[in-house]
Amino acid sequence: MKFTHFLLLILILLMPSGLNATISIQKCMICHGKPGFKKVEESGKMKELYVNFSVLENSVHKKKVCTDCHADVVEIPHRHTPEKVKCIRCHYKGNPEGAPQSDKYLEYQKSVHGRESEKGNPKAPVCQECHGNHDIRHTKDALSRVSKLNVPKTCGRCHMDIYAQYVKSIHGKSLLVEHKQDAPSCTDCHGEHNILAPEESESTVNPVNVVKTCAHCHESVDIVGKYGIETTQVSLYEHSFHGIAVKYGSKKVANCASCHGTHNILPPEDPDSPVNINNIPKTCGKPECHPGANKNYAKGKIHVNPKSRESGVIYWTGLFFKYLTILTMMALVIHILLDLNRRSKEWREQKKKP
Amino acid sequence: MEDNKNKNEEFVERMNLNLRIQHIILFLSLIILAISGLALYFHDTWFGRFLIQLEGGIEARGKIHRFSAIVLIILSIYHVIYIVFSEEGHSEFSKLLVRLQDFKDFLTDILYTLNISPNHAEFEKYSYREKFQYWGVGVGVIIMIFTGLILWFQDIAMAVLPKWCIDLTFVIHGGAGLVIFFLLFIWHLYDVHLSPFNFPMNSVWLTGKISLDKLRKTHYKEFLKITGERK
Repeated sequence: MKFTHFLLLILILLMPSGLNATISIQKCMICHGKPGFKKVEESGKMKELYVNFSVLENSVHKKKVCTDCHADVVEIPHRHTPEKVKCIRCHYKGNPEGAPQSDKYLEYQKSVHGRESEKGNPKAPVCQECHGNHDIRHTKDALSRVSKLNVPKTCGRCHMDIYAQYVKSIHGKSLLVEHKQDAPSCTDCHGEHNILAPEESESTVNPVNVVKTCAHCHESVDIVGKYGIETTQVSLYEHSFHGIAVKYGSKKVANCASCHGTHNILPPEDPDSPVNINNIPKTCGKPECHPGANKNYAKGKIHVNPKSRESGVIYWTGLFFKYLTILTMMALVIHILLDLNRRSKEWREQKKKP
Repeated sequence: MEDNKNKNEEFVERMNLNLRIQHIILFLSLIILAISGLALYFHDTWFGRFLIQLEGGIEARGKIHRFSAIVLIILSIYHVIYIVFSEEGHSEFSKLLVRLQDFKDFLTDILYTLNISPNHAEFEKYSYREKFQYWGVGVGVIIMIFTGLILWFQDIAMAVLPKWCIDLTFVIHGGAGLVIFFLLFIWHLYDVHLSPFNFPMNSVWLTGKISLDKLRKTHYKEFLKITGERK
């Protein structure tokens, strides 16, 4: 008896590997190749089971067969609904399968999406939600769901309100309408696999880090400079009251997004922009900032550069104090030298006397 | 330095208790204001970062700065009242007024120091240097309090002042602050501490007393006046 049990056990253990030989695509296509092949799920939803083989052939996985990913399908027809594909089977650093050598999966696990998915939140996206299923293409491929131009739409499938704001923003318009590759899509600010909730201190859009995130482009002559956008704004902000306080960890003061907005960002010339000259009193006058702000807030440049001639009286006053300080220092040094000279003279005279 | 051996020296009062206390409160508040102000001025250098850390972060820095400012404002109001309404303060202040003689003294001093003329300048109770430091700090403190209040109560100030005035105020507050810092912390401290005549310290600020001998050397006219009164 015991021996038969043991034999059975060995057989069971060996079975999957024994039967895990690749099943040819043609076999799967007998059913999944039929347009209109679908089933009704327990929830009552229709589930499309048709797979357009040409889609797979144009994807990065064209050399793979169905069971490379659907590894739990060991016989045709399969008796159980195959499990959701786990991309980490191949996509890890050191894989022998020929997949890109990267540990993005680990980044994902730490991200807000990964953690929610781990908790069992059904809304949290796993790889396929963003990258697609059979239609996965290279990021640089314009047809990829995660290509620069398609990322907003992909994120917008879940984050619909934000997508609606983004497409109207200057970033959205520049990227989606004018196809300027320098304009940011979602991932340029929020990160990709490592995306975190804005409340988390390490998030790229947390008040502590958002300045650096905006600065990445808005300080760069190569990125925004060539479109005639000023590149000194960030460093001027960093030397302002707001900027200094943010740098030292204050969360009360304004960062870039507090005034300029986030997904709905618009250039100051736009009458709807919160930093349009007509909207500045309202923007500064938020109850938690400067309640009662009036038109005076709009009189004068916001990102003022005291070291630039354009700043007029502010520049000249700064220059005056610079030279006053230098003169004071010089007077001070001269005074000390003269004083020492005088003391030594007095001392010598005193020595001579008696 | 050279005349401390005579222990039977006679001392006269130079700085009364009231002035000594005013002086101590003044320099304590100014030191704290300077440290917390320089922290902001040099915020992007290691020096500023060190100071801000020392003061417990950027918000604590602001609180420390404003608390010392309150102390300084109260002291300044008291000082004005002292000058205007007390006889003692009034007479002391009148000795600090700038006169033509001060410019002459300054010239005499320069000529003497440069070996052009053998004559010493002889001073009354306050020499031109002491007057300069008093007025330097006085005017400076008035500017700093005025601009500081605008920056502190910015929301109220901006009901009247446009944004560029606030930026200007910020530049003035920082610039004037730095000048006062050099004037006091280096010039004045050199005069009363490091100068060979006073090294390691002129103790008048603590004892209020000066030896007649020293008074004779530094403020000859005042010496004559005091000794004359006695005779």
